[in-house]
Amino acid sequence: MNFKKLLTLSVLISLISLPLLAQSGKITIAGSTTVLPIAQATAEIFMDSHPEINISVRGGGSSVGIASIIAGTADIGDASRHISTKEIAQARENGINPYENIVANDGIAIILNKNNPINDLSLSQLQSIYTGKIQNWKELGGPSLPIVLISRDVSSGTFEVFNSIVLSGAKAAESALMLASNNAVATTVKDTPGAIGYAGLGYVTDAIKAIKVNGVMPAKQTIQSKEYPISRTLHMYTNGAPKGIVKTYIDFILSPEGQALVEEQGFISVD
Amino acid sequence: MRKILIVALLFVFATGLLLAETKFKMELWNRWTYKLIDGNVKTNEMSLARGYFRLEPKFSENISGRFNLDYFSQEEAIDGAGLKLKYAYLDFKNFIPVKDATLTVGLMKTYFGTIYEWEYPLIEKDPSDLYKFVSSTDYGLGVSGYFPKGYGTYALAVYNGEGYKKTGGAINKDLNYLANLRVTPIVGVTLGGSYMFQSKNDSEIEEDGEMIDNPAREEYNLIAGVGKFAYGPVSVLAQYLNKVKSKPNVDDYEDVTSTVISVMPLFKVNNKIDILGRYDMYDPNTDQDDDGYNIIIAGVNYHIMKDSKNAPKLFVQLNYEMKQYEASDHDDETQILAQLRWIFSETFK
Repeated sequence: MNFKKLLTLSVLISLISLPLLAQSGKITIAGSTTVLPIAQATAEIFMDSHPEINISVRGGGSSVGIASIIAGTADIGDASRHISTKEIAQARENGINPYENIVANDGIAIILNKNNPINDLSLSQLQSIYTGKIQNWKELGGPSLPIVLISRDVSSGTFEVFNSIVLSGAKAAESALMLASNNAVATTVKDTPGAIGYAGLGYVTDAIKAIKVNGVMPAKQTIQSKEYPISRTLHMYTNGAPKGIVKTYIDFILSPEGQALVEEQGFISVD
Repeated sequence: MRKILIVALLFVFATGLLLAETKFKMELWNRWTYKLIDGNVKTNEMSLARGYFRLEPKFSENISGRFNLDYFSQEEAIDGAGLKLKYAYLDFKNFIPVKDATLTVGLMKTYFGTIYEWEYPLIEKDPSDLYKFVSSTDYGLGVSGYFPKGYGTYALAVYNGEGYKKTGGAINKDLNYLANLRVTPIVGVTLGGSYMFQSKNDSEIEEDGEMIDNPAREEYNLIAGVGKFAYGPVSVLAQYLNKVKSKPNVDDYEDVTSTVISVMPLFKVNNKIDILGRYDMYDPNTDQDDDGYNIIIAGVNYHIMKDSKNAPKLFVQLNYEMKQYEASDHDDETQILAQLRWIFSETFK
């Protein structure tokens, strides 16, 4: 066999063996910190019933999840926003076909410090608050207390959804404190009088207060019906429709058992 | 136009940086070059081949910009160092009523062939840059965007036509016009093309009180055809460039056609190692024999670190490059290049 034939054979073997590697029993998941609890909870239970499959889960943000799918470094890219046209174009050029698997519904709850008497804000009031036009709660019928703006960092899918629905592209005030996780937002709002923040519904606890938006409370029914205005779907992106063990895992998340875990994490099941 | 643009953009950037969320990025290329001609050492040099200092302010969700300084330090540069303004543009999204379209103004990318997206997977330049078809950036105004569902990209632009390096008396007043289209009809298969019209010197000049055809008028028609195939760890990028120079006011002038064919395969062995090759055929005048040359490159990239989005942070590039001239009396050239590239960035709010 001459060198040319050997080289051709090596390349062919590499190409053929590539799909087999995906069946090796390991699933890598990266991306959204919002979707992270769903991935962690479902992976744990799934691995109990499938001990031959190892699932590694890490966060990083929705942009990281989608970038990982485009680069082929993760089997599943978690995202709390939709993939952008730019990202789809990049993926297709790289031979990747991003496929959106909706695994849960979520509402972004507007949260206040528990001592704040405000119970309802409109989307336009929220925009005025986050762009700095309204700076004190007394302008909204509340106590004379400066508003402390808490936001998610710009790389998070939660920020992108909030930015799109509430800010409509307007720039958030410079004074907004940008935090790296839903948990950090909830904790800061809990500890700061006058604070306002936003987080996935699953992060609302008794220690903080979720309020109505446009007169609608974030709840399972209002989110599933899209009545609550700051609603979204949560996604796990794969390269093409899921296959092999990735399909088995995603099917598990979408099963009644998996969706019960989704609800246990504070999110809304896919109806 | 050039001076006004520079002053306006610097002012906007200076004030904007105080107000906007700004990404700061540095990239440095430490290179060793060892070049042989006919067995004799022509170059044995270590240099800072390129450095980028980049600021990307985001004024709002729809307005952002890029300011980029290129610098280099090597023996052949005056005083051993050089500095160029490479990018200074503003992007306006949703400014025109077309979904996913962006209006760009300033010292911006030239959307020709693959030069606007060239990330130097090999140490060598993009073919359009290497064979001096177009400059990688130029002062101008353009609209670019994405087709729905990621089926492709497009760009339309008007440029000064001199690139970012020429100054003073070298500047000509004719504008360049460009159209670029890239489609991905099937996942992993991308096809595209670019057209650019360049010209120099007025069509007519005044002589003895009358307007006459200007024999110094030059026109250039440039075409690029791009094909890319990607499947799993393997990709192949192929490109055809064609440039026709004409003098429409000179009857017996024969057009000069230059062509380039370039093919670049890439194999990602794993997340750390890429193996690459490239084969270029350059013919500066298709009507003449033995005036062109071929370039063959073999290279490997070793990624020491990547960021969370899998973009390179620290990596080593090793290239072997051979230049073979068609003319039998011209010695072939070979060079070995080793380069350490390191990139770091931070976003300030």
